[in-house]
Amino acid sequence: MISISNVSKQYKGSAKPALNNVSLEVEKGDFVFLVGASGSGKSSLMRLMLREDVPTKGSVHVLGENLVGIPSRRVPFFRRRLGVVFQDFRLLPNKTVAQNVAFSLEVIGKSQGFIQEAIPEVLRLVGLDGKADRLPSELSGGEQQRVALARAIVNKPALLLADEPTGNLDPSTSQDIMALIERINLAGTTVIMATHDRGIVDRLKKRVVELKDGEIIRDQVGGSY
Amino acid sequence: MKFVFSEIAQGFRRNLSMVVSVVLVTFISLTFVGTASLLQMQIGQMKNYWYDRAQVAVYMCSDVSAADVCPQGEASEDLKASVQDKLESSTLSEYIDKYYFENHDQAYQTFQAQFEGNAVAKYVTANQLNETFWVKLKDSTQSQIITESFTGVAGVEEVRDQRSYLDQIFSILNAASLAAIGIATLMLFSAALLISTTIRLSAFSRRRELGIMRLVGASNFYIQLPFILEGVLAATIGSVLAGGAVLAIVQFFVQGYLAERLPFTSFVGLTDGLLVVPMLIAAGIVLAALASGLAIRRYLRI
Repeated sequence: MISISNVSKQYKGSAKPALNNVSLEVEKGDFVFLVGASGSGKSSLMRLMLREDVPTKGSVHVLGENLVGIPSRRVPFFRRRLGVVFQDFRLLPNKTVAQNVAFSLEVIGKSQGFIQEAIPEVLRLVGLDGKADRLPSELSGGEQQRVALARAIVNKPALLLADEPTGNLDPSTSQDIMALIERINLAGTTVIMATHDRGIVDRLKKRVVELKDGEIIRDQVGGSY
Repeated sequence: MKFVFSEIAQGFRRNLSMVVSVVLVTFISLTFVGTASLLQMQIGQMKNYWYDRAQVAVYMCSDVSAADVCPQGEASEDLKASVQDKLESSTLSEYIDKYYFENHDQAYQTFQAQFEGNAVAKYVTANQLNETFWVKLKDSTQSQIITESFTGVAGVEEVRDQRSYLDQIFSILNAASLAAIGIATLMLFSAALLISTTIRLSAFSRRRELGIMRLVGASNFYIQLPFILEGVLAATIGSVLAGGAVLAIVQFFVQGYLAERLPFTSFVGLTDGLLVVPMLIAAGIVLAALASGLAIRRYLRI
């Protein structure tokens, strides 16, 4: 599913590498927490898996694609096969819930028929039925993240990358979002989630990969923060 | 496709002033290009017309000719006859379409008619004006033959090809059209820069959408197409306006004004104008596509 080996990433203008000789294997259906302080390299690692960046050294394989050698015109097609959510939701403020999800399908050329069918289904799945015509500004933070999750999974991706999805949410809302992400994982989607939230990591008892100064210092199954 | 068009409409609304300036700059610069190419066509047409009528003048010596060329003064009847014989001779006559002799009185009449109202017409007398053999060649480019045959011949003051006067006029017109092309090139360059700035602004105001499109895997073509079409559409409006302006210049200025005042000159007409218009529109579209394509490619790295 994901195979990262001996990856280093050096940004221009900084002396220390953001990632230093990192190797990581993730199997299909896994749920992995990426933990570590700010600047430990979590985001850099996520960016490599999204092919927003290429490593300075080493190889990155995600969903069977070699992300170092992939030609840039095939990157969009690679990204269609995974879902992404962020701390800041990244919704379009002038589009309704349904339009936000529909937008991501329209721009990859899905038919109107498919979109009409898929949207109510995915909104029900994330617990937003009845709110299809609301604007993001009329929703709570938790509901906005549900919209983002709906957009991420509407295409039934094999992999979900979540970069601090609960970072802007209060603890009880975070729990609801985590329950949803767990459900997505149980349905067969591999989940990689970068987080700072100690409570969530400790409670879920999933595989934990800890980064420090760009190196993996712990990779523990059923671990805590 | 519906999505692409709604994106373009949104882009136009969002930076209307920039779109208007793109339209205007392409309009003006392409009008310059169009006018310059019409001027080139005009020069070509006038060359054809006038070169065809250009004659070679063999000026005979007169009383007032300089002594070093005409030591004998006014050319005698014998000298004139020998020049005429030479023009009639088999070596020269095959190049000559026709020729005629203009004596002092005829030259005086022509001069008075040409300089009517001018002060010089009062002072000139008939015997100051040369008697002249006007030679019309079958091929006006072969004036060299006449020049070589008669230069230095006794009684001949000077041999002059009228084309040399025309060449001066044409080189002035040519310089004018080159200047217009130069200005047009500068303006087209600024149009290209303006288009790419507009596209960049447009992309910046849509960066949220663009970010999401990239995340969910919209293809590059799909992301870039609305921007390129936005630039192309604005430039197309400008080039259509420029085409209209060029046709209006031909119809109302050249045909309506110049042609009426200068009836003996043939001017470019609407058919020539209609040749230029598609060229302008194509130039506008290609320029805009390149400028906005490059701009968006640099702005939207994957």
